[in-house]
Amino acid sequence: MSPAAVAAPGPFVHTLRALLLFGAMASGFFLLIGHHPGAIFIEIANASAGSGYAIGETLLRATPILLCALATLVPARLGLISVGAEGQLYLGAICGTGVMLAWTGPQGLLLPSVLLGGMVGGSMWAMVPALLRTAAGVNETISTLMLNYVAALAVTWLVYGPWKNPQSQGWPATVEFPGAARLANLADSRAHAGLLLALGLAALLYFLLDRTRWGLELDVLRSNPRLEHVTGRRIAPQVLLTMGIGGMLAGLAGIAEASAVQGRLQSDLSQGAGLSGFLVAWLAGNRVGRTVWMSLLIGGLLASGDGLQMNARVPSSVTLVVQGLLFVAVLGAGARWLPDRRKPRD
Amino acid sequence: MTSAEIILTGLLISALRSATPLLLALLGECLTQRVGRINLGIEGQMLVGAVAGYATVAASGNPWMGLVGGALAGAALSSVYAWLTVVAQANQFASGLAVWMLGFGLSAYFGSQFVGVRIEGFEPGAAGLTPTVVMALVLVPLTALWLYGTREGLKWRAVGESEANARAMGIVPWRIVVSGIVVGGLFSGLGGAALSIDTTRTWAEGMTAGRGLVAVGLVIVARWNPWLCLPAALLFGVAEALSFRLQAADSAVSAHLLHMLPYLASLLVFVITCVRLRHHPQGGGAPAGLRAVFER
Repeated sequence: MSPAAVAAPGPFVHTLRALLLFGAMASGFFLLIGHHPGAIFIEIANASAGSGYAIGETLLRATPILLCALATLVPARLGLISVGAEGQLYLGAICGTGVMLAWTGPQGLLLPSVLLGGMVGGSMWAMVPALLRTAAGVNETISTLMLNYVAALAVTWLVYGPWKNPQSQGWPATVEFPGAARLANLADSRAHAGLLLALGLAALLYFLLDRTRWGLELDVLRSNPRLEHVTGRRIAPQVLLTMGIGGMLAGLAGIAEASAVQGRLQSDLSQGAGLSGFLVAWLAGNRVGRTVWMSLLIGGLLASGDGLQMNARVPSSVTLVVQGLLFVAVLGAGARWLPDRRKPRD
Repeated sequence: MTSAEIILTGLLISALRSATPLLLALLGECLTQRVGRINLGIEGQMLVGAVAGYATVAASGNPWMGLVGGALAGAALSSVYAWLTVVAQANQFASGLAVWMLGFGLSAYFGSQFVGVRIEGFEPGAAGLTPTVVMALVLVPLTALWLYGTREGLKWRAVGESEANARAMGIVPWRIVVSGIVVGGLFSGLGGAALSIDTTRTWAEGMTAGRGLVAVGLVIVARWNPWLCLPAALLFGVAEALSFRLQAADSAVSAHLLHMLPYLASLLVFVITCVRLRHHPQGGGAPAGLRAVFER
């Protein structure tokens, strides 16, 4: 019997199974830590979408996750598995902050220059694994993972050392971004214009990837890399291009966090957005539309941590466990209970 | 003391102590990759091992119990990865990252009560070597003996080369793949526990700082050979020990930049290995089943 003859579950069945699995695992975890699952689920929903403030916090948290997911998605369309959004986010924050610190030009150009600096910084950092891949065949998954730690240490070095604000006493951070270098807030929430930029870029990427010849070329090269030799379309330039675009998006996430949310460069500004973004892109099957929705969902879940801590007296780290369980459930929903009968799908 | 003395005195011992948690994780990941799976979730397995081990010592006062607790926690989390990649046949990289995320969350949740709690660890024995260092060093030849010298080890290698051929030989591949993953979890949990109980004697959120991910790369540097895992782990250990010593010797370079050393050194040897393996006809010792994961 050929593998194709065994019907794979349709998308609806798959989603239903994932939800059931997630519900069972999360409920089990809540019971284990001595809480009523229903009460916590309601609290999470409340704290992520129950009020104007909650929605603002959800959008705030979703912004870097969406950008990092898009940063993962573009190289993934060529078949690359880059986990480097975290490091690119840090480098974006560094370079954008550098532009702000060194700026002597007109105030009106400050914000665009800072954002551009962030995007260039993220791209440059992404060039390291991209060039290693094209020049030496180095696996990009492993190189990006190692480079993330180097980038995080670079931020720590700068905020404890050369860029430390002498007025901030013991607190390791740079000087604050001036008003002219900050993205505007949306209404009276903490969410900022970076979200609009991210959504605009998502729409642009949707067009580029799904409606142009370039997007089709990526799909063709991914599905069969050997076509490189047949069609004369070389992969290497596309590796550099897709990784560069990815780095740009993650870099924008980083500088937006530093300038609009934290108001200064300090360590730990990513809050795991890079990894969340990677899994969001993966679970969305690298489709732009689904990535937007998944980012909002995960952003809401993570944003509910503070509310949970205050109202239900549950530590906010519970949301990290729930996030992990959600991803495990979706990946595990494809389980078929006869492990020996098939070949691995990847 | 001159700064050169500060840097060099007992460097090998410090390097060994720094390398121990990584060496344990490396041996575990080596076994896992030998059965044809790349498990990035090892980072999360080390974290739950570190917190479970620390909690066990805090409760029982016995560091040996802590090592057992950590190893079991690592094995338990690795069974999630086994389920995802064997039963659900999900992508290996994505499954590993999901397990990492789950392990990070679980260890952050259960570890919050142990931040700042002090424990009694092992007393250093001869030459400042603690039992975890000796244990890791002894496991190197034992792992090699298991892989190359036993019938069961041969079966594991056969499955890593080709599940289809192994099945034709009458082996049930999925049982061996699951064993390879869970034994890897046991080792990485032990490594995490060694880190929190012995190397640092403290628990902090995310304290493994990428050691598990570095291990995944260094297994490739070690060419999937347990013997070569020792020098690979020592490279990281020397780089880390050097970064602390240069700091103690008032190096002009900032401590935070020095802490990049172990990661940069690991990346460098990884790149060199990739270049050398690139046009290697047999994949340079890579289990053939693993190459399908890398070569897309």
